[in-house]
Amino acid sequence: MTLEEFRKEIEKLKSSRKYLYNGSYILPALWIAEKNFSAITPEIMRTIADVLGVRLIEVEEAAEFYAMFHTKPKGKYIIRVCTNLSCMLRGGEEILEKFCDLLGISPGETTEDGLFTIEAFECMGLCDGAPAVTVNEERFLNVTPEEVPKILKKFGWKGK
Amino acid sequence: MEKLLLRNVDKENSHTIEAYLRSGGYSALRKVLKEMTPEDVIEEVKRSGLRGRGGAGFPTGMKWEFAAADLKEPKYMVCNADEGEPCTFKDRIIIEKDPHSMIEGMIIGAYATGCRYGYIYIRGEYPIGRKILERAIAESYDKGFLGENILGTDFSFDLYVHSGAGAYICGEETALINSLEGRRGEPRIKPPFPVNAGYLWNPTVVNNVETLANVPLIIERGGEWYASIGSPDCPGPKLFPVSGKVKRPGVYELPMGTPLSEIIYEHAGGIINDRKLKLVFPGGASSSCLTADEIDVPMDFPSLAKAGTMLGSGAIMVLDETDCVVRAALRLIEFFRHESCGKCTPCREGTDWLVRIMRRIENGQAGEEDLDVILSISETMENSFCGLGMAAHNPVASTVKKFRDEYLEHIRLGRCPFRSS
Repeated sequence: MTLEEFRKEIEKLKSSRKYLYNGSYILPALWIAEKNFSAITPEIMRTIADVLGVRLIEVEEAAEFYAMFHTKPKGKYIIRVCTNLSCMLRGGEEILEKFCDLLGISPGETTEDGLFTIEAFECMGLCDGAPAVTVNEERFLNVTPEEVPKILKKFGWKGK
Repeated sequence: MEKLLLRNVDKENSHTIEAYLRSGGYSALRKVLKEMTPEDVIEEVKRSGLRGRGGAGFPTGMKWEFAAADLKEPKYMVCNADEGEPCTFKDRIIIEKDPHSMIEGMIIGAYATGCRYGYIYIRGEYPIGRKILERAIAESYDKGFLGENILGTDFSFDLYVHSGAGAYICGEETALINSLEGRRGEPRIKPPFPVNAGYLWNPTVVNNVETLANVPLIIERGGEWYASIGSPDCPGPKLFPVSGKVKRPGVYELPMGTPLSEIIYEHAGGIINDRKLKLVFPGGASSSCLTADEIDVPMDFPSLAKAGTMLGSGAIMVLDETDCVVRAALRLIEFFRHESCGKCTPCREGTDWLVRIMRRIENGQAGEEDLDVILSISETMENSFCGLGMAAHNPVASTVKKFRDEYLEHIRLGRCPFRSS
């Protein structure tokens, strides 16, 4: 998505009349940015502030506060491994370690080819399928360490 | 017991409006709009004794009455679908498998309180649920249950989905409202309460997903019928998400007041490999733990409060004899440190210090005096600005009190006894 196309998307969002207050469009606008760009850059934030007629600091605050918005470049696929209690009790930390080993990165980092970002994540409400992993919007439940390479391959991992 | 809240979830395409209508869906809304005044609806809900299922247990009918009495316009109806309490996944089942039951409950609530606009605030971690809700809302508009002049009456109500973006604090209703306004999810001072000054400082009703899913049932079968289910002082069916070391993790629908031991051993199948149960967090990550000797307690708001803990979201998390209490409590306080919004000092500093001390204990670098420091920090955190900080220390403080020997063993050995080396 180009910045110009993004601006049009935000204008469209604003004309939906979903809210009676422009500030309320900040999170939906950031979501559009999150899904279409590798990072929510200062340029993107300025565009949002400009179209919505809010102060830049308001957009920056929201972009920095919420864990799911990335202001630093992220991979095409975000692997979120739950390590909260229910998943931890059933081996979530081993799963995280396996992903990190195979990709050669630590939690929070992105592979050099820009394909994967791995995150040690908090509870995603999938505790009945612990340990749980998501890759972008897809879920993987009751994951075993043996299944980890298979999951990666599904998203174009070239390792073995 | 007859399935009430989960009556539809196993049916084919249960998330579609066709399936919902086939099982009698939206008949409660028709009844409300044709036969009942807003006051009648509130009376019926009050008669039912329904208490909020989000964690605080506030009487729903009373909340609606306060909102209805406020004359400021427009009013807003907000569904709190920011199910973030670790180990809680009950609302997810309703959102994904029976979204129309909560939407119908929301429309009825909006009619009763005079709300013109509604928002479902869903956590960012539920993208599948968000899509299902958006589709369900579109279906509901198509059938004339949402929009202008619903079912030919004067009542109009517009409903939208608003997605959060990964912040546990937004489950706190005033932080949720700030987030809905595009701000950082920091709580606001109460009073004024959202029913009088919520979204854009207008009257705003905030109800949990499960609470709203109860409403069509109450209208269809009557408040009196509803009040006869489960515990007399907080009746109705309740969804209990069970996870951790049980044979069958999942969401179980049972009457309020079902004993915790029955839920763990009969419904969730008991402990993996028939090991011994060590401890249970009975109401999510912010509840105080119960030991194996304390699990006969009825699962309802007053009984758990009496037992020194809380029902919260009703999320039951089970640890067995092979699990390290210190490590479990450490993981939970790490979560709260990550999620503390930083607005107030007791929570921001308290969670950080508890993490530091707990890590020292787990790594065998602590002294016995650290346990007293934990309890003193815990006491200070009671003075936090909102519920997050007031409860965040519970898993740590309660395990220090009830499993002191295990903590002391870490200190004495200079390492975690549950790790091999």
